[in-house]
Amino acid sequence: MSVRLKLPPILQEFSGGVETLEASGRTVGECLEELEAQFPGMKESLFDRQGHLLRVFGIYLNSDGLHPIELDTQVQGGDEIVILNFLMGG
Amino acid sequence: MSSYNGRMIRLNLTTGKSQVEEIPRQWMKDYLGGRGIGVRYLYEELKPGVEPLSPDNKVILMMGPLGATTAMSVSRMALVTKSPLTGAVAKSVMGGSFGAFLKFAGYDGIIVEGESAKPVYLHIDKDGIHLLDAAGLWGLDTQQTHQKLRQKHGKSTQVACIGPAGEKLVRYAVLISDLRCGGRTGVGAVLGAKKLKGFAVNSSGPLSLHDADGFKELTREIIEGLKTSPGRIRMSDFGTSYLTLGFEKVGIFPVKNFQEGHLEGIEKIGDEALAGIKTKNDGCYGCMTRCGQVRQVTKGPYAGAVSEGPDYETIWSLGGNLDNTDLGSLIAADSLCDRLGIDTVSAGNTIGFAYELYQRGIITKKDTDGLELNWGNHAAMMTLLEKIGNREGFGKLLGEGTKRAAEQIGKGAQDYAIQVKGLELPAYEPRAVKGYGLILATANIGASHMYGRPRDELSGKKDKLTEVDKGQDAAQAEISQATQDAVIQCSFGPVTGFNPQQRSDLLVAATGFKEFGDPAYLDKVGERILCLERCFNVREGFNRKDDTLPKRMRTEPLANAGPATGQVFKNLDGLLDEFYDALGYTRQGIPSEVKLKELGLDSVVADIKKFAK
Repeated sequence: MSVRLKLPPILQEFSGGVETLEASGRTVGECLEELEAQFPGMKESLFDRQGHLLRVFGIYLNSDGLHPIELDTQVQGGDEIVILNFLMGG
Repeated sequence: MSSYNGRMIRLNLTTGKSQVEEIPRQWMKDYLGGRGIGVRYLYEELKPGVEPLSPDNKVILMMGPLGATTAMSVSRMALVTKSPLTGAVAKSVMGGSFGAFLKFAGYDGIIVEGESAKPVYLHIDKDGIHLLDAAGLWGLDTQQTHQKLRQKHGKSTQVACIGPAGEKLVRYAVLISDLRCGGRTGVGAVLGAKKLKGFAVNSSGPLSLHDADGFKELTREIIEGLKTSPGRIRMSDFGTSYLTLGFEKVGIFPVKNFQEGHLEGIEKIGDEALAGIKTKNDGCYGCMTRCGQVRQVTKGPYAGAVSEGPDYETIWSLGGNLDNTDLGSLIAADSLCDRLGIDTVSAGNTIGFAYELYQRGIITKKDTDGLELNWGNHAAMMTLLEKIGNREGFGKLLGEGTKRAAEQIGKGAQDYAIQVKGLELPAYEPRAVKGYGLILATANIGASHMYGRPRDELSGKKDKLTEVDKGQDAAQAEISQATQDAVIQCSFGPVTGFNPQQRSDLLVAATGFKEFGDPAYLDKVGERILCLERCFNVREGFNRKDDTLPKRMRTEPLANAGPATGQVFKNLDGLLDEFYDALGYTRQGIPSEVKLKELGLDSVVADIKKFAK
């Protein structure tokens, strides 16, 4: 499945400043794997040392739902995956 | 009709008398409220050179024009004084519900002056303002004090008080309302010196609004948007704990008193681990986010400990900064700080300073009351917090803060005191995020994380490690924070509240002041507040030499910090020039006469000419 992937500014340094990309896979996780293949180093920034998605990021599918989705969520052709990063301190 | 009550309580503790006075209407327009009006009072009423812990110092507790309304994240209270840590202007913003109920009682703020001969507290209700004996409260911790005051005045009483640390003049003591602190810069010590244990208020409103229907509609729209806001939900689910692992990855999270940026086992105190012991959410008056995370330790030596927190800053200060990944100790230490009434940031930073001195042999067990201050020793941390809060033994010295403690210790200890202007640095490594470093260097209150955030840098829109073209952003971040603290909008406001235009619309509907409808006008208010704070400091002898960073940041390459490894802060001077230019200050960091007049601060021009160094 080919999906559109939208990156937050903090990850765009790996994509040469490109915000929206095409990636393919059956699940969100597979799409991110392909992203890593295209832009090495991106995965390192997304996951902690245990391999969990860092909570400063949230992944949303077609802007649906109140909560971010899991990596094993199935995707359909034409879907849009949006990665947000949250950076409020305190 | 307006959301301003327009009335202040002036409490003179020397005479024991209080009076109610009007707030100058022009100050509302020029300074909005909160930190803004608070700083105006402080500048007007404090003579230069006043000793912070003397009767001549004052504390201004001030609400904003949206406080106690149904708008989100706005019922916070600004505390303004001259800091006993820094000798500079001090501001801190306290959450909770106390401020909202003070407004319901008919007052926008309280000016505390003088010094009482015996411990007292202030009680406000429909019958008036009463200064009451606090002999039975003196010595109690903050939770016990809340409990006693609620037993006496009723369960619904809203309380703000100091703990033993404030009474004993720990220089980073806080004022606390339930579990929300007016945390940084030591306002608790100033109140302790005045022998004022705290405040209790019983009130029920209502609050007037200029355009109640319009306000209601605006609030309804904002709430609808917030229900599905991912950022707000993230804050509600995790508080700021979600930042820890991400910031450590990029070297922002300091470890071992800023010696490095890698914490082995950090996941043990990460968001997931903390979420595992969360019992419920808590929050400030009128906020739907309820970002407070109440957590309880379920096993181990700290089983049973409960705290609302720790937030990102405290996860760092009492955790990573001490190489401590013991989750239970983190909860217990956070709770202990709240009960004693001390700032977790300065406390943890100061203990980290002591641990490094011990590591380097500058101090030994002979100096530490026999404690072994080895990295990761959380039992020693707990003992030190008790000693600091009660000013006992080695804790008495640490209660002075890193700057004074280092001066007393000597032997090169100053090199390991990680502070600016006397205020300890928070959980942001300046070498890993240079624009933030510039803000920590230039903040008029010292190195506070609550004085502006370089959002473009933190979000990745701007390179964190470059040392040019950061001055304008830092200046704007400080201006924005000043406006936010005058409204008063929570620092998480952009995700838990509303955007600048919505803020302007709410202010007009609440107050009737048409000027507030223009976000650029509010920006100018923020710039005026920032400038007046700087003028206060100039009057106290501050200038460019004080806008600096600790020697470590300027000379030592940052170790083991991911992409920031090897970074040194090399061009602070260049960034200071940019920053001053952006704000219309001279290269000595002094507001220019032209800028003062542009901001309507003509009345302080003579002061600046007289005192600028």
